[in-house]
Amino acid sequence: MKIIEFALSRWESILKMTIDHFEIVLTAMLISILMGVAIGILITYNKTAAKVMLNIANIMMTIPSLALFSLLIPILGIGRAPAIAGLVLYTQLPIIRNVYTGILNIDPSIIEAARGMGLTRSKIMFRIKLPLAFPVIMAGVRTATVMGIGLGAIAAYIGAGGLGEYIFQGINRSNDKMILIGAVMVSLITIIIDRGLGFIQKKFEI
Amino acid sequence: MIVFEQVIKKYNNQDKAAVDNLDLHIQKGEICMLVGPSGCGKTTTMKMINKLIKATSGKIYIDGMDIDQVDPINLRLDIGYVIQDTGLFPHMTIADNIATVPKEKGWSRNKIRNRVDELLELMDLDPEIYRDKKPKDLSGGQKQRVGVARALAADPPVMLMDEPFGALDPITRGKLQDEFLRIQEKIGKTIVFVTHDIDEALKMGDKIVVMRDGRVVQFGSPNEILSNPADEFVSELIGGNSNLKMMNLMKCKDIMRLIPNVDSRESSKAALKIANEHDVKNLLVTDHGQKLLGYVSYGSLASNDTVVSNLIKEIGETVTPKTTLQDVLSKMFSLGKKTVFVSGTKGTVEGIVTMDDLLKAVKDDEQISESDI
Repeated sequence: MKIIEFALSRWESILKMTIDHFEIVLTAMLISILMGVAIGILITYNKTAAKVMLNIANIMMTIPSLALFSLLIPILGIGRAPAIAGLVLYTQLPIIRNVYTGILNIDPSIIEAARGMGLTRSKIMFRIKLPLAFPVIMAGVRTATVMGIGLGAIAAYIGAGGLGEYIFQGINRSNDKMILIGAVMVSLITIIIDRGLGFIQKKFEI
Repeated sequence: MIVFEQVIKKYNNQDKAAVDNLDLHIQKGEICMLVGPSGCGKTTTMKMINKLIKATSGKIYIDGMDIDQVDPINLRLDIGYVIQDTGLFPHMTIADNIATVPKEKGWSRNKIRNRVDELLELMDLDPEIYRDKKPKDLSGGQKQRVGVARALAADPPVMLMDEPFGALDPITRGKLQDEFLRIQEKIGKTIVFVTHDIDEALKMGDKIVVMRDGRVVQFGSPNEILSNPADEFVSELIGGNSNLKMMNLMKCKDIMRLIPNVDSRESSKAALKIANEHDVKNLLVTDHGQKLLGYVSYGSLASNDTVVSNLIKEIGETVTPKTTLQDVLSKMFSLGKKTVFVSGTKGTVEGIVTMDDLLKAVKDDEQISESDI
């Protein structure tokens, strides 16, 4: 069990990189969720805008992640900023799409009743539509977050730090232990966060 | 109360108007039924009242107030709204659903809680049991009761109901219709009620508006519509059996006859005399002129010379003064009797209805056809 000894002897730097990774992804996801939910809500009011936005988000996802990160370097330089921006752009689609379909799939009679009773548009959105679409929105957030944590590893390529750096170092030094430890830690964060989000999603299901 | 003046509604890409030059006066405290085939404009007409659909031209007044001058949100808060699929908010409890409009109006918590319980009781749902349930835990009929309660929550003077009982099974529907009529007697709202079911319209309506292709074909009371349909279309809508349907509109109390009492200790001859004096075939038998024991029939009095108490028959199943004649008839069939007693509250007997009375009642309304003969 050399690998465990190896990990224990370097636990401080592994922990620091894990925390770095976590920070980058968390920041990116918070921005991504706020942006995605806002865009998702706004496009439910306009079909044309919905088509355009969903297509843009779709195209973002088809760009290879490595290329997307590299393209951001001329604009934002290297380091955390372009990494976070890249993650935000990359994880928009599942969030926007789920907010949009989650809201549009609500039984129209519920919305009609709400309108007929005299609720304003924003009250219908925040008191009826969003709570009802919440499980679907959370499913999108989960998908996006899982994607984000994985992609976060690639962001090390543009100098963002995090567990990706550990993996890249491992590759450069042909050290499989480092690669393996990096990969396992990424998976571990992914599983823990996905479970946590899943728990929240379940709790609010109707 | 609600007035339509030359109201026209045209949808964007259609030449034909969905509602074409509609003039309508709906009286305060009345149930006005809008009835007609799908696409006749009845729902559009209703939704123009709370501005869910905006009229292309024309004016609509509620209580003399032009609805164009009122903010749609404020307008809707003062109009109860019930739809076919209930539209209950699935993520809220029954109490929160009912409290929707009162909350918007800024009622105090206490007032809202009391109002919710009062409405649940009115709808025959025990507040202790149902207050904290979610809509998914309720049956279809219960959901619609909550839907009606929610619309009544802030005590709006006007209610709009869009086929509220349409999705229910016939038994539940009939029950809810009866309950709603009973409640309306107490609350006296002005109600616009959309349905495609003419029987529902005849049963529930004080006035009926028959619509076709966005126009009013006939406007009148159920009696007028039944006895004097404006054209082929209306009579086709009514369908056959207009006599039977007429019986559905009349209540026992309209035709029942009072019956005299006889003391149980009287002789059958004395009883016969009373029966002859009042020209009736049955007498109620009481104990010391107070407690009701049963009844005696003319036949048994005439063929037996004894005291009345030996001839008493049990009254058995009764109907109420509010039972429709159609239900009385079916009661007679199921009991196999030509007479049925009408009971009041607390087990008293208020009168009697016979098969002859029923025949006469329907014939009276058929004077036109009688004079034709």
